Amino acid sequence: MTHAVAAPTLKMGIPISNAKLGMWLFLGTEIMFFTAFIGTYIVMRMGSLGWPTDTHVTHINIFLGGTNTFVLIVSSYFVVVSHDCLLSHQYAKAWKFMLFTLILGFVFLSIKGVEYTGKFQHDILPGHIPENNLQAMDKVVHQFGKLMDRRLAAAFPKQSKREDQKTELDNRIKSLNEKSGRSPAEEQELKSMSNLAKLNSEYVSLKEHVRSNLALKVPLANFDAIRKEEHASYDPVNLDDVNKKVEEILADKELGPLASGLGPAHPILYGNLFASNYFLMTGFHAIHVIIGLFMFILVLMKGGRLCVDDAILVENIGLYWHFVDLVWIFLFPLLYII
Amino acid sequence: MSDHEQHDSHSAAYWRVFWALCGFTVISVVADLVALPSKFMLGAIVLAVATAKALCVMMYFMHLKFERAWKYLLLAPTMIIAAALPVALRPDIGAHYYVQDVKQLGADYQEHLERTAAHSAGHH
Repeated sequence: MTHAVAAPTLKMGIPISNAKLGMWLFLGTEIMFFTAFIGTYIVMRMGSLGWPTDTHVTHINIFLGGTNTFVLIVSSYFVVVSHDCLLSHQYAKAWKFMLFTLILGFVFLSIKGVEYTGKFQHDILPGHIPENNLQAMDKVVHQFGKLMDRRLAAAFPKQSKREDQKTELDNRIKSLNEKSGRSPAEEQELKSMSNLAKLNSEYVSLKEHVRSNLALKVPLANFDAIRKEEHASYDPVNLDDVNKKVEEILADKELGPLASGLGPAHPILYGNLFASNYFLMTGFHAIHVIIGLFMFILVLMKGGRLCVDDAILVENIGLYWHFVDLVWIFLFPLLYII
Repeated sequence: MSDHEQHDSHSAAYWRVFWALCGFTVISVVADLVALPSKFMLGAIVLAVATAKALCVMMYFMHLKFERAWKYLLLAPTMIIAAALPVALRPDIGAHYYVQDVKQLGADYQEHLERTAAHSAGHH
């Protein structure tokens, strides 16, 4: 009796490794994740009556965006070369190309950091952008108020309320003025306290004019009388005058240094919608880049132990990295060009 | 991986794809710099270029060209569900097929704010 030859083991399911299947399933969810953002952006943009596209207004830098596209393409190429080298048993070369990819990932993040810094400096942030002249004037007043809080808190750290700080400021100026034979240090203090008081009165004046919607040429002293008038008719405050006032304060030799951090405000219609979409998409993309870099570091830490058995790991990390590149390939034209 | 021992290097193909991707990026930037007759044309060109780039990356760098039919099983449902969201949102958010009783942001909104401000100033 002859023994039957055992039938070859049947391999059920999809003909790829479990790790690779897992990665592709994960990438499937990632495609849906980013399509939700990109799709929402397209739909919002189509539905919005307008959109800020002037790069001088949005501080979008096409050159930096294009450079980042190139950086990601090169890094994607390096990952496949690294994987190819692993399969050809050129482990040192594979490690080297993986290192190049990591460096390019950091270059991408650095360029993104430069772009984000510009956005933060110009306050192109969701919810921070005035969309009309009134909101722009309110923003100037709000910024000025926060600046005064900082200056007063620095001068009088013991008082926590602004009213107490102002009382303390007036008292200090009064006592220094009344003192005869002031020392050079006291002279200096009197000067800085007087400047602080002057800056505060500029703030109060600007705030009252904007809140009361009265032109800056209307003296603050007349406000009480104006409020009692039944049919008062005065010119309303306007953004150009407010911004001009801010520029004057900044140009002032004595007040300028104290007012650093203050700036004119310009309305950007639909700017908040733009900023929300921009930061949502590029922010989540940047988080994915950071996660990718961690994975590259994990592989690089293997150093000389990197071998052909790591090919699946490198391939999976590569798949993830190509996906990150893929997302950017669509974000670049959508956010930077169109 | 089954191809550990008999590995066919795709390095020549990768190199060609890399240059194709660089070329496509240059086309996108040039399309932006050249004054095209309409924004729609610019959008169509850069999105077509982006799609071509995405296909290059997926087919070669992500090896989908060399994979078997499982790729359709895995990716087709994902693509359908991913496309469903923008399609579902479009009627209500992306298109205005109805008349707005209450005007939304726009020139009229700005006028409304200015009128309100003028009105409140008139009270003072």
